[in-house]
Order: sequence, then structure tokens, then C-alpha cells
Amino acid sequence: MSRRAELAAATDQEIVVLARAGQEVAYRELIRRYERPIFALVFRMVRDRELAEDLSQETFVKALNAIESYRPEFKFSSWIFKIANNAAIDHLRRRELDTLSLDGSPHAETPEAIEATALQIGNRGESPLDAVEAKELGGEIEVAIGRLRPEYRSCILLRHVEGRAYEEIAEILGLPLGTVKTYIHRARNELRQSLAHLRE
Amino acid sequence: MNRPVETHLSPDDIDVLLTGAADAGAYPHLDGCRPCQALLAAERHLVARLESLTLEGPSPEFADIVMSRVAIPDPFAIRSLGTARRRLFATRRSMAAAAMVALVVAVSMAASVIWTLGNRETLAAAGSWIGAESVGLLWLGLRGVVANFIEQPWYGDARQLFGDPARVAAISGGIMLAYVAGLLALRKLMALPAQGVANAHA
Repeated sequence: MSRRAELAAATDQEIVVLARAGQEVAYRELIRRYERPIFALVFRMVRDRELAEDLSQETFVKALNAIESYRPEFKFSSWIFKIANNAAIDHLRRRELDTLSLDGSPHAETPEAIEATALQIGNRGESPLDAVEAKELGGEIEVAIGRLRPEYRSCILLRHVEGRAYEEIAEILGLPLGTVKTYIHRARNELRQSLAHLRE
Repeated sequence: MNRPVETHLSPDDIDVLLTGAADAGAYPHLDGCRPCQALLAAERHLVARLESLTLEGPSPEFADIVMSRVAIPDPFAIRSLGTARRRLFATRRSMAAAAMVALVVAVSMAASVIWTLGNRETLAAAGSWIGAESVGLLWLGLRGVVANFIEQPWYGDARQLFGDPARVAAISGGIMLAYVAGLLALRKLMALPAQGVANAHA
């Protein structure tokens, strides 16, 4: 079996062991396995290709430089997705401070609480920038995902685009399982409403 | 799934149906409730659209850019040295402490050199005395070890064993073979296993 085939057949944990032993091919294999899903998640979170590329690079640099601190009892995918999600959420929060949040508190548990904590200034119609982004990302569903609050967006992308289990999403996002389920249900509800006109 | 027939499906019920963990037959309520049927159909449609979204990829040079910023560990390097260096430059306080220590060491070394230049005769006399004493002690120790060795009951047998050059060559060859076998075994152990461990994948 060739070296490349051996690496492709190895588990994430085995690749990490080789990376810790200083083998560059192991680092490249980890990048090869996760560059696409990580970039896709970050891109859909921040909706800007260049920024997504930067944040994805930061994610990998941070993870690979700290490979010694990775604990093999956890999934490598959960670990790297957690770093990527934190990078995206941190960026969105910083950007949010510069503008004003139109969304309710992420801690609001009921629709009334969300509405009560939301700032009602201006409508949430699609701006010209949204339209350009939508064209780039392709399709109304991308626009609808982009309108979700970041916490909902992470959950729905990890669940239905990445196919992660609820428990793993809870681990990645550091949220209780019940909260993850609530966020996903709410996100699906909002997406259904946003896309309702397409089914009529 | 034994819920009253008149109760609408909960989000958790919808999840169970979406994942295929149960089929619609497990929910008799669905047969007669058009809103629940419509909700389930809409959710299925939405999930199918989400699952069909394409995974955008980064630029082709992504891996090279990342690798240019990753420090690959050298397994033969002294790890504590790197850690100490990182800790040393972590804060201004630690840098100030390190600078103070470096200053003390530099001043001590300079003072030592100046004193040495002014007291060469004293140092030479002390060096000669210490050298002579050390050599005397070394010989004394060596003679003691040899005498002790010769007095051992197995000394005669050992001498006889190594008396024959052919036997010495055979023993040396055996040791060399064992060493090479050990190296090969180590290389085999460090090689990548061909088969993965079940469930270790993400």
C-alpha cells in the first residue's frame, strides 16, 4: 500500500499521532480531510469568501500548532469544528458591536422573549449586499440561512449540512443538548417560513 | 411513541421521523391530521434542500498557506527549551526577570574574567594541585575496582570464556545481531498501521 493510501486509510487519531511525531504529511492529510467542511461552515457563517478563507486558515493554524494539546478521547472533527465555529462567532460578534443587533438575545427561550429583546429599527428585507451575497452563494436557501442568528446558523449547518449528531453539536458549541435541539427547531421553523413562498 | 392520537406531533417527534428512526405508522395521529402531515412534508423538503447544499472549497493554495504558518515539532529537539523560551517571552514581567538574570550572569562572568587575569599564578598553582590529587585518587579507585573484580569467584570462568578469540567473535556477532533486530523491530513499531481502529474516525 502506498504512503498516501496508508494515510487515507488511517483514522484521525492515528494521523494526529504521526503529526505529533513531526511528520508533515500527517498535517497535510488533516488539512485535506477538513479544509472543505471547515471552509464551507465558516463561509456560510460569515458569508464572505475572503474572510472565510482567512478564518479557516486561522482555524487550521491554531489547531495544528496546538496539536499537542488535542485530547484523543474526543473526536478530532469536534475539536476543529469547535475552533472554527468560535472563530466565526467571535468575528460576527465583533462585527455586531460595530453595528447594532437587530436580533433578540441568544438566551431568549420563547418567541415573546426573542421579540422583546430584539431591536426594531428598520426592516429585515434583502439589501443590495444581501442580493450580491445570495448570488455568490447561490439560491434563496443560502440567503435564508444567512438571515438566521449565528447560534441558529451554526446549529442548522452542523446538523443538516454536516450531518453531525445532536450530542456532537452540543460538544462543539459548548451548549446543553436541550438548547441545541431548541435552536435547530427554531432555525428550521424560520427557514420554512422564509422559503414558504417557494412551495406555494 | 405511545402518545395520544389527538396530540399534534412535537418537534422531537418530527426529528425522529426525519432521521428515519421511526416510520409514520408509529404516529397514528398523522393519518387524520392535515396540519401535521403538511408540517412533516415541509420539514422533509427543507432538510432535503439543506442536505443537498454544496460544500464550497477554499483556494487551491490553502494547504500551503496553512503549512507555512505551522511549526512542525521536531521529536529530537529538547522540548523543554522551546517551552522555556515561550514562557520567557510570554509577559513583560517574565521578560524583565529574564533580563535581570542575564545581567547578573553577565556581570558575574566579567568579574570572574577580571579576577582570573589578575591572579594567574594562584590559579595555576591551585590547578596543578587539584590535577595531581585527582589523578592519584583516580588510580587508587581503579586499582581497588580491579582488585575487587579479580577476587570474585566467577573471574576465572569469565577469563576462560573470553580467552578464546573465536568465542569472543561469536559473542560480539550475537550482540550485533540482537542490536540490528532491535532496530528493525523499533522501525516496524513506529510504522503506520495498515488498518484503522474502528470508531476512531470523526
